[in-house]
Amino acid sequence: MTSGNETIAKPKRFDLTSGIWVEVARYFFSFIGVLLLGALLIYAQGEDPLKAAKLIVAGAFGNRVAIGNSFRWATPCLLTGAAAIVAFKSGVNNLGIEGQMYLGAFIAAVIGYFYKLPAGVHMIVCLVAAGFSGVIWMIIPAVMRLFFRINEYITTMMMNFIATLFCDFFVIWVIIPSLGITTTTAATPNIMKGARLPSLIKGTSASWGFLLGIFCCVFVYILYRYTIQGYELKQVGENLKFALVGGVNVKKTFLSIFVLSGFLGGLAGGVEVTGGYYRYVSGFSYTMGWEGIMIANICKQNPIALIFVSIIWGALKTGAMNMERGTALNRLTVNLLQMIFVILVSIDFEGIFKFFDDRINKKKELDKIIRQTGAQNAN
Amino acid sequence: MLIEVLKTIISPVAFAAALRLSCPLIIGSVGGCFNEKISTGNLAYECFMLVGAFFGAYGSFISGSPVIGSLVAVLSGFVLALIYGLLVYHLNCNAMIVSIAYNNAAWALTTLLLVVIWNTRGQFTDPRIVSYSTLDMDFLKKVPFLDTLFNNNILLVYLAYIYAIIGHIIMYMTPFGLRLRGVGSYPMAAQSAGISVRKYRWIGLIIMGCSMGLAGSYMPLSGMSLFSENMTRGRGFLCLTSILVGKGDPLKTTVIALLFGYANAMTLVLSTFNLPTQIVSMLPYVAVLAVLLMVGIRNYKGAKNITGDTI
Repeated sequence: MTSGNETIAKPKRFDLTSGIWVEVARYFFSFIGVLLLGALLIYAQGEDPLKAAKLIVAGAFGNRVAIGNSFRWATPCLLTGAAAIVAFKSGVNNLGIEGQMYLGAFIAAVIGYFYKLPAGVHMIVCLVAAGFSGVIWMIIPAVMRLFFRINEYITTMMMNFIATLFCDFFVIWVIIPSLGITTTTAATPNIMKGARLPSLIKGTSASWGFLLGIFCCVFVYILYRYTIQGYELKQVGENLKFALVGGVNVKKTFLSIFVLSGFLGGLAGGVEVTGGYYRYVSGFSYTMGWEGIMIANICKQNPIALIFVSIIWGALKTGAMNMERGTALNRLTVNLLQMIFVILVSIDFEGIFKFFDDRINKKKELDKIIRQTGAQNAN
Repeated sequence: MLIEVLKTIISPVAFAAALRLSCPLIIGSVGGCFNEKISTGNLAYECFMLVGAFFGAYGSFISGSPVIGSLVAVLSGFVLALIYGLLVYHLNCNAMIVSIAYNNAAWALTTLLLVVIWNTRGQFTDPRIVSYSTLDMDFLKKVPFLDTLFNNNILLVYLAYIYAIIGHIIMYMTPFGLRLRGVGSYPMAAQSAGISVRKYRWIGLIIMGCSMGLAGSYMPLSGMSLFSENMTRGRGFLCLTSILVGKGDPLKTTVIALLFGYANAMTLVLSTFNLPTQIVSMLPYVAVLAVLLMVGIRNYKGAKNITGDTI
């Protein structure tokens, strides 16, 4: 190497203001932060953090059953996350995934119990019907948004409430009296054997729904990465004016976003019934729909990253249950830590780095100017 | 039977229940209006309310005074708002993600605290959680209808309606309100007029946090003296809905909150008739959708005429 090369500016090896290093730093620091906070939280409750961590890992991946359970709880995350990715990538605030899940689950449970169809077909009919009920639930906000300019932010949230109440009404006042049974829980009877998803790992609660979820994620990935339709969907979300000038049929595209997101949301409910609970239970979802929105944003709306995050999420859920059995800790400790992780990951490190970088640069420039003017004055 | 049901629906008892039950919604949503006007996309109302409910119960438990309980609840809302503001305004987090994480964490946090502090799961009832006592006003006793309607409520209920009026006055009749609305509708213009956007965002957020905390403290301290897991059961979302439908106007928001409170009262009143309460609780949501649709019909420009400005 000759000394002449020194004049050429070397590319920075670790450019902390952009690129993959920020992502790595983001997840690394968030993880460390959560571990520290978690240890503190567990210690405060009078337990050994290391023991709790060991129990979580053992409960999530320790044996075949544990892995199966992790996959089972990853399934709803995969599907709701895919629904959220489709919506939020295209700038549609679909907060109604929860409601679509409820309706999808309810329809799947009704078809699964009341109609007799051949074994394989029955399952597929259940899932497709669940998906389409989600679509119907999403069409109402879509029409209100497209024709009457009513923000789907409000309407989808209202539809959540209506969906849960609607399903509960049918279960309690129509289905249970018509069967002439007395139950204490508001739930439909179990669906037929032919309507159930086959299990993925023998003897565990993991079903083919997990594979279906991964398939949906890969489908969303391919749609956005390699097809014109996906490009148009993304375009509408990122730059509507550009899409209009480019000749994209905005109305059709927007409608298809709503339809696709609603279908995935409904499907998530259908899979819960056909592959998990085997019946519709009132209030089964807790916050699965909202979690989908969160996970979709943790993985920066990347469907492939979603698969990994979902598996981690499912693993933490089953691991937390194991921890609760082994120690005096409550499994909600893990839930709280998950939320702290979400918040830490969503911190905009890039912006903060840039802020300080700009300040340093500005200071340097200021110094330079002062030095120059000082030199001039001295002259 | 239909006549009896109708009589119950319009009976003073039902209206009185509606006035009572809409109290937390009104307090919360009037405070939330100040947050909505500065448009930060905050969805975390449920969290503020649930944590407020817990700390309301806790404050009353340790001090024996419901007023201290409410103050502790307000303080908890204030602290949560501080963390929220730090995350969203200074560390540039996505407001929606932080909100959803907040909402989910609130359930976990309050249940954990329930276990840690009182060592129970699910529900904690104790006479040491002192509730507000009802105010008995003599001059109302002679008027038959108004007596059932307005008498014998707790302090917070009266406060809620005063709060709504004060909120309206502050929002529309003071320079502060004007600036707040200005920051919300066009931050750049407000900035160029020499108003600190960040300061007003902080103020709006803190008003919202404190009011939601106070609203939350209504629930354990309104006579039941208990705290249960997920006590608010979506009331925070009801606040959010009434704010969004009322577009941040305190009085309109109060009307919507009253509608929700009335529907809530109906489910209690009609439960004796063996009617499906789910349908009754569903009605306000459908009504709100219908109202939105009626307002939105003016925006309809024909199916073919959809362009960028529609979306």
